Amino acid sequence: MNEFFQAFSDMFSFENVKWDVVWEATVDTIYMTAIATFFTLIIGLVLGIILFLSDKSDNTGSQPVYGVTAFLVNLFRAIPFIILIILLIPFTKAIMGTIMGVQGALPALIIGASPFYARLVEIGLKEIDKGVIEAAESMGANTWTIIWKVLIPESMPALISGITVTAIMLVGSTAIAGVIGAGGLGNLAYMVGFTRNQSDVTLVATIVILIIVFIIQFAGDFLAKAVDKR
Amino acid sequence: MIDILNVNKNYSTKSADITAVDDVSLHIESGEIFGVIGYSGAGKSTLIRLLNGLEEPTSGDITIGDDTINRLSKKDLRQKRQKVSMIFQHFNLLWSRTVEENISFPLEIAGVPKKERKQRAQELIELVGLKGREKNYPSELSGGQKQRVGIARALSNEPTVLLCDEATSALDPETTDEVLELLREIRDEMNLTIVLITHEMHVIRKICDRAAVMQDGKVVETGKVLQLFQNPSHSVTKRFVKDDINDEETTLALDEVRELFPDSKILKIGFVGSKSKTPVVSRVIKQFDLNMNILSGNIKQTNNESYGHLYVAMEIDSETLQKVIDALANDDITVEVEK
Ligand SMILES: Nc1ncnc2c1ncn2[C@@H]1O[C@H](COP(=O)(O)OP(=O)(O)OP(=O)(O)O)[C@@H](O)[C@H]1O
Ligand SMILES: [Mg+2]
Repeated sequence: MNEFFQAFSDMFSFENVKWDVVWEATVDTIYMTAIATFFTLIIGLVLGIILFLSDKSDNTGSQPVYGVTAFLVNLFRAIPFIILIILLIPFTKAIMGTIMGVQGALPALIIGASPFYARLVEIGLKEIDKGVIEAAESMGANTWTIIWKVLIPESMPALISGITVTAIMLVGSTAIAGVIGAGGLGNLAYMVGFTRNQSDVTLVATIVILIIVFIIQFAGDFLAKAVDKR
Repeated sequence: MIDILNVNKNYSTKSADITAVDDVSLHIESGEIFGVIGYSGAGKSTLIRLLNGLEEPTSGDITIGDDTINRLSKKDLRQKRQKVSMIFQHFNLLWSRTVEENISFPLEIAGVPKKERKQRAQELIELVGLKGREKNYPSELSGGQKQRVGIARALSNEPTVLLCDEATSALDPETTDEVLELLREIRDEMNLTIVLITHEMHVIRKICDRAAVMQDGKVVETGKVLQLFQNPSHSVTKRFVKDDINDEETTLALDEVRELFPDSKILKIGFVGSKSKTPVVSRVIKQFDLNMNILSGNIKQTNNESYGHLYVAMEIDSETLQKVIDALANDDITVEVEK
């Protein structure tokens, strides 16, 4: 009982917490999440639109496109993130020049999250009323116009809530990446909180991560609601 | 204006091969409001979708103006669609755009500069009676208002042909009449050719000049609307006409009348247009000194003429009857003996 109480008061003492280090780690986490979310948004959107268009089209050439894209998306979605990081080490080294730190984490983060977001995009696009797409076709719109002026605006709430979920998942992924060498709050919690047995640092890292997640969720919900005129 | 020549459309599905449109040929004049009526599954939507190339015919040719739709390149077809626009049963507006932005959409596709788009949209908003609602989103409009936006949107590129796929089927009767009235005004004003499909005979009656009746992918009857109503020849047409006039009650009453007046003949007197306003019948009645019981009567309004019929019971011998029939025939009034 006493031991438990001791652990508890250690946790809330904050005597080991170096706030400048926490700040640095927070910036790293936000930076990794922001950059990874940005690229995931673009890659996922492109993949999702390819999936949607090639699935619905009766153009014979589109079937293989759908097959290959769907296969890659499913494959990378199935690989656990921690294994993906290890698997991508040679690739990361080649394009980023390092496997450590924030830079080293980005390829795995983006490659891990894009397929996930691509599926969310595809689901969002499938919710669009087919009649509206057909109406645009009946006005003489080409595929490009349909993508920009129909598909994306008409699925905007789903695209936003999808990227919100993905960004939150990415915060979690940055923490995992942190454990094996990327910076950020996960790294702080593991390297300092766990290996040096400073549980107050772990607690602070946790709280900051929760705050980041809540802010993302709040902003995402707000935006999704604001654009929804249905 | 529009020529549909021996057009077939087959769908192969896993379970069966379906002939949705079966050897259809139609000619539609410029400036005409042409109706296509049929029960569900008759192939109406498929036919109208062939007209703007949303579907390709399995065989046959569809010509609008100088272009054979099914032979145009993809690019030319997109160009052509700007002049062959369409309105839909469920309006198919973009919820993410305001009324004004929805109406400008075809103009954006056509690459019209922003200033012109705005001006054109404003004109159309006034034309369809939605002034003051330009900044509203579709979700803030009633069904009738949404269809007005749909119509304005379809007109924005100044099309020559307007295709309407069940454009009023989601609307209540009053709103239906308003929208039909609007379509007719637009046709008169812009000299549009309108092709309209429906499963409601009164839509045909109210605004169409000519109509085709479809069943199982085939056109079973084509003609002037008045003619279809007065002398429907195919059983499907008869059923539609009957549903519109609501003959069920009359039939019921006729059975009773036969019991009440066993010696009387029951006549159906049919009349059209201006004749329905002159006292021809009463003149003939006086002339032959007849007695009659009026059983039921009906007058319906088509887009340019009224027509109707009168059921009467009278005691009359065959010889006089023939004279009466001849006398009335002089005034284009038809008499049928019901037995
Ligand atoms: N894409 C398709 N694939 C297979 N069959 C189809 C397809 N589109 C239509 N059909 C079939 O073609 C026939 C005609 O359909 P269509 O939609 O033209 O009928 P409709 O007259 O418009 O009916 P409704 O009044 O219910 O709209 C139906 O049997 C339908 O099942
Ligand atoms: Mg239909």
